[in-house]
Amino acid sequence: MGPTRTATVLNIQRMSTEDGPGLRTTVFLKGCSLQCSWCHNPEAMCMGPQLVWHSSRCIGTRACDIVCPENAITRRDSVVTIDLVRCTSCAKCVEQCPSTAMEILGTVWELDALVAEVAKDRNYFERSGGGVTVSGGEPGLQASFVADFLDRCRALGLGTAVDTAGLISRGALLDLARRSDVVLYDLKEIDSARHACVTGQPNERILGNAIALGELMRSEGWPRALWIRTPLIPGATVTDDNLRGIGAFIAEHLAGVVTRWELCAFNNLAVDKYGRLGLEWPFQGVPLLTEQELRGAENVARSSGVDPGIVVATGRTRVGGES
Amino acid sequence: MATQSAPRPRRNFKEPYGLSPRIGWLRDHYFQGLGRAWNNQFTCWTTGTPWDVVYDELAYYIVPETYAFLQTFRSSALQAARPIPLDADFWKWSLPERRAWLIRKVMVDCVPQELLPGDLVAGARFNILVSRAWTKRESARRDRIVGGARGIRKAVKWFHEHGYGNSGATSGHLIPGHARALGIGWQGIHEQIERAYEALPASDKRGSKGAQLRAMKTAATMPRELAARYATLCRGLASEEADPQRKAELTQMAANLERVPWLPARNFWEALQAMWINHMLIMSDENYPGPGVSFGRMDQYLLPYWERSLAEGMDREFGKEIIKCFWVHANTAYDAMISMGGNQGITAGFGQLISLAGLGPDGRDMTNDLTYAILEVVDEMSPILEPKPNVRLHRGTPEALLDKVVEMIASSQGAPFLLNFDERSMAGMLREAKMAGCEHLINESNVHEYASVGCLENTMVGNDRSGTVDNNLNLLKAVELALTGGCDLVPAIDPVTGVKAPIRRDGARTAQTADFTEWKEFWAAYSEQTRAIVARCVDLYERSEAARAEFSPTPYLSCLVGGCIERGLDITRGGAELSFTTIEAVTFATTVDSLLAVKYLVFDAKKATMVELVQALRDNWEGHETLQAWAKFRAPKYGRDDDSADAMARDVMTLWTEETWRHRTRSTGRQFRPGMLSWNYWVGDGYVLAASADGRPKGRFLSNAICPSNGADINGPTANSNSVGKALGGRAPAAGVSNAGGRGAVSGDWQDFVNMLPNGASHTMTFSPALLRDAEHREKFKAFLRGYCENGGTALQVNVLDVETLKDAQKHPEEYRHLLVRVTGYNAYFTSIGRELQDEIIAREMHQQL
Repeated sequence: MGPTRTATVLNIQRMSTEDGPGLRTTVFLKGCSLQCSWCHNPEAMCMGPQLVWHSSRCIGTRACDIVCPENAITRRDSVVTIDLVRCTSCAKCVEQCPSTAMEILGTVWELDALVAEVAKDRNYFERSGGGVTVSGGEPGLQASFVADFLDRCRALGLGTAVDTAGLISRGALLDLARRSDVVLYDLKEIDSARHACVTGQPNERILGNAIALGELMRSEGWPRALWIRTPLIPGATVTDDNLRGIGAFIAEHLAGVVTRWELCAFNNLAVDKYGRLGLEWPFQGVPLLTEQELRGAENVARSSGVDPGIVVATGRTRVGGES
Repeated sequence: MATQSAPRPRRNFKEPYGLSPRIGWLRDHYFQGLGRAWNNQFTCWTTGTPWDVVYDELAYYIVPETYAFLQTFRSSALQAARPIPLDADFWKWSLPERRAWLIRKVMVDCVPQELLPGDLVAGARFNILVSRAWTKRESARRDRIVGGARGIRKAVKWFHEHGYGNSGATSGHLIPGHARALGIGWQGIHEQIERAYEALPASDKRGSKGAQLRAMKTAATMPRELAARYATLCRGLASEEADPQRKAELTQMAANLERVPWLPARNFWEALQAMWINHMLIMSDENYPGPGVSFGRMDQYLLPYWERSLAEGMDREFGKEIIKCFWVHANTAYDAMISMGGNQGITAGFGQLISLAGLGPDGRDMTNDLTYAILEVVDEMSPILEPKPNVRLHRGTPEALLDKVVEMIASSQGAPFLLNFDERSMAGMLREAKMAGCEHLINESNVHEYASVGCLENTMVGNDRSGTVDNNLNLLKAVELALTGGCDLVPAIDPVTGVKAPIRRDGARTAQTADFTEWKEFWAAYSEQTRAIVARCVDLYERSEAARAEFSPTPYLSCLVGGCIERGLDITRGGAELSFTTIEAVTFATTVDSLLAVKYLVFDAKKATMVELVQALRDNWEGHETLQAWAKFRAPKYGRDDDSADAMARDVMTLWTEETWRHRTRSTGRQFRPGMLSWNYWVGDGYVLAASADGRPKGRFLSNAICPSNGADINGPTANSNSVGKALGGRAPAAGVSNAGGRGAVSGDWQDFVNMLPNGASHTMTFSPALLRDAEHREKFKAFLRGYCENGGTALQVNVLDVETLKDAQKHPEEYRHLLVRVTGYNAYFTSIGRELQDEIIAREMHQQL
C-alpha cells in the first residue's frame, strides 16, 4: 500500500462490447503519445483536464461566463466560446451549469474507487471471458498506476486487457503485458515515414515493442492473448501495400502469437467532438468505406501471409455502398 | 395484463415462416379481423327481468379509459341481450346456482358451436356477457353500492382523477389447475365436489357452502356437455367431408371430444383439446376475455402427453400443428369488442401467459423437447399476440436454450417473449410465504413450481389467486402530498366536464411547505403520506372486493382452483388456498428521483427553498426553467448504479412494501402483497399527476414499473440492471462482492437473493441491433443475461432499437441521453452528434432491417 494513487480518466464505458473478449468495462485514460490525424477520441489526446461546451444541452443561463474567474468564456448569439489558453479547468462554470452543458473532460480517480467501480459488473464478465480494458489515449503513459490497477483487478478475479498503440517504453509495456489477459495492440501503418506523416511519430519503437511482446508471450505466457488492431482510414492506412506489410510483419514476428487481427473501418462520428474542442478535423466529409472496400481490405489481409482465420473486419460501411 | 413496452409505434419486420397451408390459412384468416365472416364477439344474454344487468363494471375499474363509458356499456349490453328460457325453479336457487346454470345454458344451448376449416382444436365462441342473475332486491342493493351517490364508481373515479391510480376487483390473472384437470378429468373434479358436499352437515348443506358446492357441481358438468356438442359437430362434418385425410382428423376430433375433458387425457391431442375447453370456459364464466388467464408451465405438465404421443408415432410436426391451432384460438379472445376497437379490433396485449423452462426440484433445469417445440411454434407463428410466452432463465439454463432465446430476439425487432429470472423471483415468493404465514404452501421444496400470470406477475399454480393488477397505486402521489401538508398540488380535473375540483386536505396532516428545515423531516412526511395513500387504496379496494364477493360468483373457475372445493367457498370470496391481492406500484423511479431532487435542490445544494420549489411545480415549471434543469440534469437519479441514489430507491421500496403487507381485505381475508407491473398507466397518468420535483412537467410520462426514468440510465444496461436488483433488495450481505469464494451464512430470501416484490417487477430495456449482429456479439448478449440472473430483477423485456426510436430521440433528445451508437473502439451518444449524422445512422438502420 503506497500513497494515494490517481489517474486522469476520460470516460468509463460499461458493457463495452468492442474492446476485447466478452462484456467489458473500458477505462479510457487521458493523454496520448501519437497524434493520429483521424483520431476518434481527440479529447483523450492531452493529459490534462479540458473544458468543453455541449451546445445541444445549453439552456442559456449565462452562469458560465459570469462565474469564470479567468474571463475565458464568451457567449455571443447563444454560442459559447472557450479560450483554452486562459481556461485553468477550475470547473467553476461546470458547478454553476444546471444542464451539464459545460463539462470537464478528464476526472481524477483514486485507485480504490476505480477498482470498486469496475468491479460492479463482475457478474457480467465472468461467463463471457470479459473483464476490464484500459484504453485511452495511451494507457502506457500512466503505466505505474495502470499496473497497480491491473493487479488489483486480477486479485478480484477480473479479466484484464490493455489497449495500447505501443509508443511507450518497453519496460512499461512489458509491465502491463504481464498483468493482462489480452493486449490489444495497434499497428496502423507499416512504413515508418508514412507512419510519422499521419501520426506524428515514426513506428520503429512500436514495431520493436510488438516483437518484444511476442517474445514475452512465448517465454512467460503473458499476455495470454495478443490482438492486433489496424484502423482502415481512407487516404491513409487503407492501402493494399500497408495491409500486406502489416500482415507480413505479423507473419514473420508474431505467427502463432497473434490470435486476432481486427481491421476497424473508419467512422465519422467524431466530427462533433472536434467541433466541441474547437478543432478542425481533416476527415470532415470523408465518406465511410463501402462494403466492397471493407471486404477488399479483408481479403488483402487474409492473403498477406497470416493465418487467414485471425482476420476480422468490423465497423460501419456506407449506406447503399454495395453494388 | 401484459406490459405495453413503449407508447410509441414500433416496426416489426419479422415474418411468420414454415407454416402449413392449414395454419397459414387460419393465421391469415385471423388477421382479417372484421373482414372475417366468423368472429368471437361478445354475445349478450338476459333473464328478461326489467332489473337485469349483464355487464359487470367491477372488472373494468382498472381501465380508467372506460370510466366514461361504463353506463353506456351497461345499457347497450342489455339492449343487445337475447332472453334465455329459464328453468321453472330458477328464482328459487341461490345466486351461485343461478349463475352456474345460466353460463352452462348459454354455452351449451344458446351459443352456436362452430369449427373453422382445418382446425384441429374444437371450441370456438366463448366471449359472452350473461345476466348476473340478480333478484330485484339484489339488483337494487347492488346498484346502490356501485352506482349510488356514494357508490364505488364515484370513489374509483375520484381516486383516479386525483392522481392516486386505480383499483378494482378484476377478473382473470391466475393460473388454474390445468394439470389436475387433465389428470383426473372433470369426472374426477365432479366426484370431489360431490364428496365435499356429502360430507357437509345438513345445516351447511342448506347454507352458503351447500349452495356453492351445488353451483360448482353444475359448472363441472358444463365442459362435458359442451364437448358433446362439439363431438356431434365434428362427426357431422366428417360425414360430409370428401378429403380422406381431413375426414380422419374430424373423426379423431369427435372421438377426442367424446372422451375429454370429462375423462383424463391420454395423449397430446386429447390433452390440448381438453385444456382449450377448460381454459376458454373460464373466460365464459368470468364474462371477461382473457386478461391474465394464464397457463403456467405448459412444457412441464404437458410433457408426459407429448412424450407418449411421440412414442406412439405422432409426427413431431403434427404435434406442433395442434399447438399452432391452440395458438390461433387464444387470439380470438381479442374479438370480444371487435366491431368497436380500431386496428380491426385487434388491440393491446391480453396476456394469456405460458411459462417455459426454468428450475425444477434439487436445482435441476427443466428445459425439454416440448420447451423447444413451443418456442419453434412461437418463432414460426410470430408476430402473433397470444398466448404470450415467458421464458424462465436461471444460473443453470443450458446454452442451447439461451442460444435459441437470443437467436429469436435477434431475428425480431424485440423479444417475442418476456424473460423471467428464477433466483430473484423465487426469493420474492419465499418472502411472501414468510410475510403471509403460508410457508406450508410455499417453501424451499416447491417454490420452483411458481409461474407467471399476465406478463410477469409471479404466483403459485392451481391454488393461487393473487389479484395481480387489482390495485395500481401511484407512489408519486405521496411526494406531492408531502410537499403540501396533504393537499393536491393542483386541482383535479374531471376529464369529461373539465370541472376543477376544490383543493382539500385528502392526505395525512403533515408539515406545511414552509416548515421543513431538514431532509429527515421531509422523509418523515413522505413516509406518513405513503401510509395514507396505501390505506386509501386498501379502503377503496375493499369496496369492490366486497361487492364482487357478494354479487359476482364464478363457480366454474372455482372448480379449477385448489381450496374452493375444500372450503365450499367461491374464489371471489377468498376460496383459493393462496388468496392475495396485489398493489402494483406505479411511478417508482419518478418517485425516487423526485425525492432525490427535493433533497438535492432544497437541502443539499440549496438551489431553491421548499416554497420556491412548490411554486415551480404549481406553475408546471413554466418560468422556472433553470431550477427545472437543476432537477433534471444535476440531481442524482436512480438507475445509474450510483449506490447513494439507489439507497433511496431501496428505502422507498422498503417503506411502501412493508406498509402493503400490513393490510388484508376485511370481506374476504385476502392479504395485500406488493408488485410492480404498471401496465400502461405510466403513460396516461402522466397527464393526471402534477409536475414532479424530478423536473417532469405535467403531461410527460411517468416512469414505467421498476425501470429508471426515461433518459436517466446514462451508465448503460449493466448499471441500469444493477440498480434494479438493488432496489429489489439486492443480495444479502453475507455474500459480499469482495469474496466470491467464501459465502458464509446466508440471510437472503432464497439463498442470498433478496426480493421485496413477490409479484415481480417489469423491466424493459432497449438494445442496439448492432449488439446482436453476429455470433460473437450474441455470445456477449448471453453474458449480459447470465449477469442479469445475478444482479438484475425478476423479469426483463428486451426491445431492439429501431428506426422509430431513433427518430423519437431526435425529437426528444433529453429523454435519450443514454442512447449509445457503438462502433469498434469508440462509442458516441446519439443525441450529442449532429443532425446530419443522426439521419445517416437512421438511414443505415433502415437499410439493415430491410
